[in-house]
Formats: sequence, structure tokens, C-alpha cells
Amino acid sequence: MKFNTDEIASVLREEIDRFESGIDVREVGRVLEVGDGIARVWGLSGVMAGEMVEFPGGVTGLAFNLEENSVGVIILGDYLKVTEGDEVRSTGKLLSVPVGDAVIGRVLDPLGNPLDGKGPVVTEHRRPVETLAPGVADRQPVREPLQTGIKAIDAMTPIGRGQRELIIGDRKTGKTAIGIDAIINQKNSGVKCFYVAVGQKDSSVAVAIDILRKYGAMDYTTVIVSGASTAAPLQYIAPYSGTAMAEYFMYNGEHALIVYDDLSKQATAYRQLSLLMRRPPGREAYPGDVFYAHSRLLERSAKLSKEKGGGSLTSLPIIETLEGEVSAYIPTNVISITDGQIYLQPDLFFAGQRPAMNVGISVSRVGGAAQTKAMKKVAGGLRLDLASFRELEAFAQLGTDLDAATQSRLDRGYRMVELLKQGQYQPMDVVDQVLSIYAGTRGHLDAVKREEVAEWEKGFLLFVRDQTPDLRAKMEQTKELDAESERQLEAAIAEFKRQWAAKNGMGAGSTGGSRSLAGTAK
Amino acid sequence: MTSMTSATSDSHDHHAAQQAADGPTDIGVERLSKVYAQAIIEAADRKQCRHEVIDELAGMVHDVLPKVPKAQLVFDSPKVTPEEKSAVINRICAGRVLPTTLHTLHVLARHGRLGILSHVVAAARRQADELEGRRQATFTTAQPLDSAEQSQIVASVEQAIGSSLSPTFIVNPELIGGLIVRIADTVYDHSVATSLVRLRARLKQRSIHEIQYGRDRLGTA
Repeated sequence: MKFNTDEIASVLREEIDRFESGIDVREVGRVLEVGDGIARVWGLSGVMAGEMVEFPGGVTGLAFNLEENSVGVIILGDYLKVTEGDEVRSTGKLLSVPVGDAVIGRVLDPLGNPLDGKGPVVTEHRRPVETLAPGVADRQPVREPLQTGIKAIDAMTPIGRGQRELIIGDRKTGKTAIGIDAIINQKNSGVKCFYVAVGQKDSSVAVAIDILRKYGAMDYTTVIVSGASTAAPLQYIAPYSGTAMAEYFMYNGEHALIVYDDLSKQATAYRQLSLLMRRPPGREAYPGDVFYAHSRLLERSAKLSKEKGGGSLTSLPIIETLEGEVSAYIPTNVISITDGQIYLQPDLFFAGQRPAMNVGISVSRVGGAAQTKAMKKVAGGLRLDLASFRELEAFAQLGTDLDAATQSRLDRGYRMVELLKQGQYQPMDVVDQVLSIYAGTRGHLDAVKREEVAEWEKGFLLFVRDQTPDLRAKMEQTKELDAESERQLEAAIAEFKRQWAAKNGMGAGSTGGSRSLAGTAK
Repeated sequence: MTSMTSATSDSHDHHAAQQAADGPTDIGVERLSKVYAQAIIEAADRKQCRHEVIDELAGMVHDVLPKVPKAQLVFDSPKVTPEEKSAVINRICAGRVLPTTLHTLHVLARHGRLGILSHVVAAARRQADELEGRRQATFTTAQPLDSAEQSQIVASVEQAIGSSLSPTFIVNPELIGGLIVRIADTVYDHSVATSLVRLRARLKQRSIHEIQYGRDRLGTA
């Protein structure tokens, strides 16, 4: 490209001619001390709490503590550029981030600056990072399902649009995987997704982004990254700015899903800030308002009323526990704020049950209201059945002789557990989920070997897809399982079982697996 | 030593005045000074000699101490006992200053706070200005102003903001031209340097804007 210098000069001249040098009025202060992402400023006597301030060189900060003689400011950006004696000016504005369609598909920092090298985010829309949650009158109950594509979750702890469902568990139990799977499953559903990585290793965030890209999920997803190496102030505001971006869609009548990965790291960052600011420490040295930090964030997820456009924002906050300790401060706080939790356990994870969800203590307080009719019908008692199976299983391991009824319940349980196992990044369509769970809960798998359950399921779903497309289409359309469909489904299962038996030589070892287990236990 | 400004004087060097405008380096000292300043003003008011006391203390800080640098060291040092400091004060001041001024110095000596005398005087001056409805203002220009220009500028600013001012004048050639007025924490900046910075930001913004929207007015293929 060749530049036309005359033209550049004329543009500049024009610009200079039109430049009106009005008086620049600003309220200023001076940096007294700076360190670890915070600064103490003398002056700024008219600054308001939460107001954005500007350091030389374009670094921004937030007025955090207003004291008698000084103002505590958290520095959002490179605090090493700020030095003692620098002039700080107030802006009279609140911190805001770019929102709208322009942020979709991007990887951004908590201030909305691009991290993916794809150039600036071009949009005229901005939203303040901290806004009030919608009030009672602006909401309606959560009814519409948000499919995560994970059988165990959609069947037993269904998530509705506008719900806050906590994902909690120790490290390496698959918490992030559930969030990512839920995002991948939103393909073609019109739900905009936001993945907020707070205090995560940059390598794991890179992997997550790579996976989202690979499964085509970046077309409708925004990733907000504030990695472990970024300063605490940015980690602290990342969830709020992610929510601001997601809210834009909610208030425009669309649906959004946001995954906060994870809020325990955000609480740690907030604790660091508060201690540096000399706010009094409370339990576990967290500041007194750490509950409010999370409650005001999660309250912004809502299902808006029809008058407000009926949009929704669903959130999946993640909390990491230490050694399964759910009664620590932050976990109890977030459990009490959210509308249910998915509890992941390491022992289940290592026993090969993935997702490693503990069915007994995982709940969704919205419940069946957020399920399709068909799913509600087939998965009704599943959660209780599985919980009682877990008890029976422990009992059976004592080696007692079991009566036939108990044995058959155990067999059913083992097969349901097998059926609920699901690979990573393989979200399932809700109709497929209904078909599988129907087959499992109605006992059609009792005769299948435990290790063949996955294969049976795969074959069966393929069979339904190929041989009875009408049934599938009808279920997809009505999202119901009426008597007629159920009859057709039973027929399909019978036919598939016949083919399965023929292929596998005969119904070999109907309850072989469990019998041998009972045998060794004796 | 931190030399503090006295009102209406334009003879101070740039750095000291700048520091006065920018504020203290130690918030603790600032807070202490405020308390002492308030006490001094109240005590002086009872004797109807607020300005005299402040002027005498300021004279001590600005005229006496700079000439005898060792005196400041004696005042600062915790090794010298309060009694010895009082004795020094008596020798320097007794009979030459008002009793309130003398007592003030003795009280500061007894509490080991003589080292922050300059801050106390500055705080007292600020409080006195506040009580009398005057606001401290700093005028920064690129060129030194003569007294006619100074009073003209102060008068017009006083008229604009509707209260009287206690002005300090600073010369800073980096401004290139124009004037910066600072009243408390508010800065009214009409300097050439700031205008240039803003013009630069606008030109940059404009170029980014053009690039973003793909308008190729600047380039020919």
C-alpha cells in the first residue's frame, strides 16, 4: 500500500483546524504508594466509590476505599507502570466493557481488550461492569430447559434457563469439563455462551479455547481470561465484566449461558485486595463482604418477564473444594446463593464414573419444571433409585446372601450407572437421552452385560435413528412421550434386542456380571 | 527539609511549591499536623492574634531554620531531650515573639513534634484560609508573570468561581504556554502542553476509527 502524503497532511490540517482547545477540568490526586495492584492516593476528594480513575499512560483504576485522608485505588492493568508521585485523575465514569455481537467469538481480558490478536473489538455498545440485578417484578419463574447434553445432569439435576447451578468438587474431578460440555451443547440452540476463566493456568485456558474451537463452539462463545499471572484486581472484576457482556443478550430478549471458572479463585483475589487495602479480615481471612461479592454477581442471572423481553442468563459457577470440604466458607456461601449444585467426587471419578457426579447430594432446586415432558416421564424416580442403589451396593459388599429382588435392583443399578457414564465433549441430544434412559429404567438393559452397556446404547440409538425415524422426529417435535410413541418405542427396543442377541450369539450371561461378583464376595 | 509555601509569595523554587500543591508524602504527618494546627488557631483566636502567630511560626520555618540547618537537625533528633529543645527555643525566641507562639513551640518540643513544624504551619495556614473563606489556589504558567498580571488573573478566577483565593504562583516551562489553575483537588487546565496531548489522542482515535471501519481515505492502493 502506498500512502498519499498530501492527503494525510490535509486530513491532519483539517483536524487541527477543527480542534477546539477547551479548558480541561479534572479532579486530581497524587499516588502516595503503590504495590501489588493497589495504590494509595492523596487528593481526589470528590471521587465516588467504584468510580474509574486514570493514571498516566492510560492505566485505569477503581476507587475502592474512601478514607479520611486518602483514597485506596485498585489498579486494573499494569501496576508496574504506576509510580509514586504520579498524577491520578477521576473520570466521573463507572468501569464499562464493550458488549454486543462484536464480542462473540473473541478471547478478551476483563476490560474487553482483545487477547486473541484479532484486532480491536468494534462496537458502540458498552455496559457498566457492575449493575443491579433485575428486581422481583422483572422476573418470571424458570421453566425452559437448558440442555447440557450430559445425561446424568439433564435427567437428574436439570438446569433451566435463568438458573444458577453450582458445579463443586475437588481438583481434577471434571468440573471444567461439565462447563465446556454445556457450552458445546448450545450449538444451534441460539444460546450465547461466556466462559470466564479466573485464576486458571494459561495452559489450561488455551486447551479449553482450543477445544471450543475444535467443536465449533467459538462461533457463539466469548472467553474472558484473567489468568493466574494477572493482577488480583483483574481477577476480581473478571466475573462481573463477563456477566455484563452476557447480560446484554438477556436484556435484548436472547438467551445466554455463563460459566465462571472458578469463583474460589476470584474470592482469593478479592481477599488479597481487601487485605492489601487493610479492610478487616473475617473468617478464613476473607473480608466481611465476600458473600455479597458472590451474591450480587449470581443474582444477575435471571429469567426476565415477558414485558422485559423474556431473555435469560443461566450461570454455572464453579467452586473448587479442598479434600471434599463443602463446609468451608466460600463453598457454603455459594451453595446457599445458587439454585442447586452438582457435586463431583474424586472416588467416583477414579472408579471410572464420569461425570463423577454424586447423585445423592447433587440437587437442582428448579427441578422438573426445567425438563421436557418426555424427560420428566422417564427420569422421574431415577435420582432416588440411584441413591438407594448406592446404599444397597455398600450393603452387598458385606457379602451377605441377597434375595432375588434385591439382586435384581442391584443389577438394574449397575446398568444405570454404566448408562449414565458419558465421554468428554460428547454431549447428547435430549431425545437420545430420553431413549437411553427409557431403556435403562424400564429394565431393557438388565440382560446386557455391564461392560457392554455403552455399546448396546450406541447401537440402539443408531437403530432408532435409522429404523424408526418417524418416532424420533415426533419426539423431537412434541418433546413428549405419549402412549402411542411409547408403544412404538417398546416395539423398537424389542426388535433391537432380538438383533443384538442374534449378533452376540445369544443372550449370553444374562446376569453373569453380578453373579460372579456375589460369588467372590462370599 | 520540606519547605512549605507561604501565600502570595512567588519567590519559592518550583519544586517546593509543586510539592505543596500536590500534598504530603506521609498521611500520618498530615493527620497530626491538622490536629496541632487546629489547636494553634483556637489558642491564637482567644488572644485575637491568629495571623500574627501563624506569620511568626512561618517566619521561623522559612527565615530562621534555613539559615541554621543544624537547628532543624536538633529539632528532628530524638536524641536531644525535650528539655534541651525547650531551652534552645527559649534562647532563640523568648521576648521576641508572642507568648502563644512561644507556647506552641514548647508544646511541640515537649511532645517530640518539632520535626513536623513546617507541616503544622502549612496546615494552620490552610485552616485559617478555610475559616476566612479563602481557598488556596496554585497558578502554573510557562513564563513568570509580573504582579499586575498576577492580580489580574487572580481577580478573574475569583470572579469565575465566586470565592476569594490565596494564590501561589509556579513557573513551569514544560507548559509551553497557557495557564493551569489548581484549586483544592480540581485542576483547570488550559495549557498548550495538555491541548497537544489531547490533539494527539484525538488524531490517534480518528485513525483507529478509520482503520476499523475500513475507510481507505488515507491510503491509495
